Amino acid sequence: MTRTLLIGLDGATYTVLEALMRENGDEGVIMPFLAHVVDTGYSAILRSTAHPLTPPAWTTVATGRTPGTHGIYDFVRFEDVGDEVYFTLYDARDFRSETFWQVASRQNRSVVSLNFPMMAPPQKVNGSLIPGFVSWKHLRRNVWPKELYDRIAAIGGFDPKELSWDFERESQIGDVMSDHELHRWVERHLPRDKQWFNIALSLMKEDDPDLLALMMDGTDKIQHQAWHVLDPALWTGDKSEEAQAVRKLVLEYFLRLDGYVRSLYEASGPDTRLIIVSDHGFTGSEKVVRINHYLGELGHLTWRESDGSEAARRRDLANFANLDWTRTRAFCPTPSSNGIVIRRRNEINSAGVEPAEYEAYRDRLIDDLLKLTDPETGQPVIREVFKREDAFPGDAMENAPDLTLVLADHGFVSVRNRAPAVVTRPTPLGTHHPDGVFMMVGTGVANMRGEPMSIVDTTAIMAHSMGLPIPKDFEGRIPAALYEVSHLRAHPVEIGPPTLSVDPEAGPVTSGTAEEEQREEVLAQLRLLGYLED
Amino acid sequence: MEMNRVQTTTDVEYRLYATLGDFIEGWDLDIAITPDTRLVEDLEFDSIDVIQLVVAIESAFNSRSIGFQDLLMRDGRYVDDLSVGEITKFLESRVPQA
Repeated sequence: MTRTLLIGLDGATYTVLEALMRENGDEGVIMPFLAHVVDTGYSAILRSTAHPLTPPAWTTVATGRTPGTHGIYDFVRFEDVGDEVYFTLYDARDFRSETFWQVASRQNRSVVSLNFPMMAPPQKVNGSLIPGFVSWKHLRRNVWPKELYDRIAAIGGFDPKELSWDFERESQIGDVMSDHELHRWVERHLPRDKQWFNIALSLMKEDDPDLLALMMDGTDKIQHQAWHVLDPALWTGDKSEEAQAVRKLVLEYFLRLDGYVRSLYEASGPDTRLIIVSDHGFTGSEKVVRINHYLGELGHLTWRESDGSEAARRRDLANFANLDWTRTRAFCPTPSSNGIVIRRRNEINSAGVEPAEYEAYRDRLIDDLLKLTDPETGQPVIREVFKREDAFPGDAMENAPDLTLVLADHGFVSVRNRAPAVVTRPTPLGTHHPDGVFMMVGTGVANMRGEPMSIVDTTAIMAHSMGLPIPKDFEGRIPAALYEVSHLRAHPVEIGPPTLSVDPEAGPVTSGTAEEEQREEVLAQLRLLGYLED
Repeated sequence: MEMNRVQTTTDVEYRLYATLGDFIEGWDLDIAITPDTRLVEDLEFDSIDVIQLVVAIESAFNSRSIGFQDLLMRDGRYVDDLSVGEITKFLESRVPQA
């Protein structure tokens, strides 16, 4: 059977990769293997989810469903209980859809899933699963099967602290760093992908899985902070020695990454299809947009008053909206969400908008948002506002923000109470762009640059590559030109039974009573993912 | 790490101590867990560890409706630290006794 090797490159963009895949003076070719994949296989722009963010986008790859159906919208979710709003993290129990790892397992295919977010607590699969975005302290308890941890711990060079998510380190994303500080920050990211590569290679050789899916996320982290040395449009003219040292180190990262992908492909044997996908692309963001400050100025929300305590200070610094919930009608919960939530009046929430006034209120709010301009240029800073029924249609839509913002520079908003509402960053920071990458090579795969495709297509492609019928409720499709005609004729696309509904106890939480929805909560100073905070 | 577990008297207490013992395995802590043990001060918890502990406890008690926000928040703010005894008492008030 043809093996399928899926490599996820978090945030990979052709803007960067195309420059690294060709000769560039003294730097040479940094990613010769990816160049080979593009030259000999199929490639296309891969459009991300409506809000191009890691948790919803990778969950779409893992489920073949869009966020309106799979139910994951952000790293953080919240529960509004009237006079208080509780913030906590999404996890695998919140999935409303079966994962493809489960679909394949049910059909006796063996699966290895490594480093995909939102996969803890781990699901039972026919193979191995190690979730991503888990700290070293919790890795041992969150692998499947349980004895897998001892296996990976026996791999030469294994270091759980290098492998795992460092919440403190990642919370620095969005901080302004000197090039000296940035060099040290990038340096600490290099060993992580090496650890994941070692595990992938080991499990591939020992277990011979039908599908090995590995996500590498150093690309995203490094591009967030080091965009100014990676974007070909910005890397021009004379640069300081420190900036050049950062670029050299960042190129070293991409060189190693190219080698990891090559080694895994070569180790997987000649009859392998390699699929490389990103969850979103990347670009540069120049503006800080303090969206809650703006909503406060317009009277949509009221800030919580500080009592001057250390706890209050920490809470103000957290990346969650810190508001007076008794006087707030609309707010942005987190920077990563780029979402606006409109609170509805009900028996527990007297501050919300009357249901009968919702539509009119929402339209006025959209008008207000589109009027926010950059004082330096006079131009709007919000290019588009999506209503949730347009961005996230599906059975899980009720958990989506009422509005999703697309900023003019694709940046993430700030939720802190600082003035003015719009300022320019000293250095552009990397931010997510909807256009990511898709590359595929192997038996029957056409050699061409295809039309832009959707991230939800990747799961259907995985299923077809593994010889499985595509569940009829998968939302993606096989691009018509992906395979050579003769191959597709011999291996036609087959539509099969739908995915199974998930077990409410093991998986998603459906709408229920307020009590059911009051679950795990966080302490205030969650230093999680400071997406482009100021 | 070898955990010197105090004698537990209820099923809730037993399950909590077992969960906590498994939870901190491999953390290189040398401490006996008692009702006075504090998560942050003694077990070096970060806020993310608290979230993970809640998930682990919900799994151990097979319930996602324990309502941990009532334990973790006081007067609109998250508490700075919690003792094992406080968690035990909270769980005993929220989950059915065996």
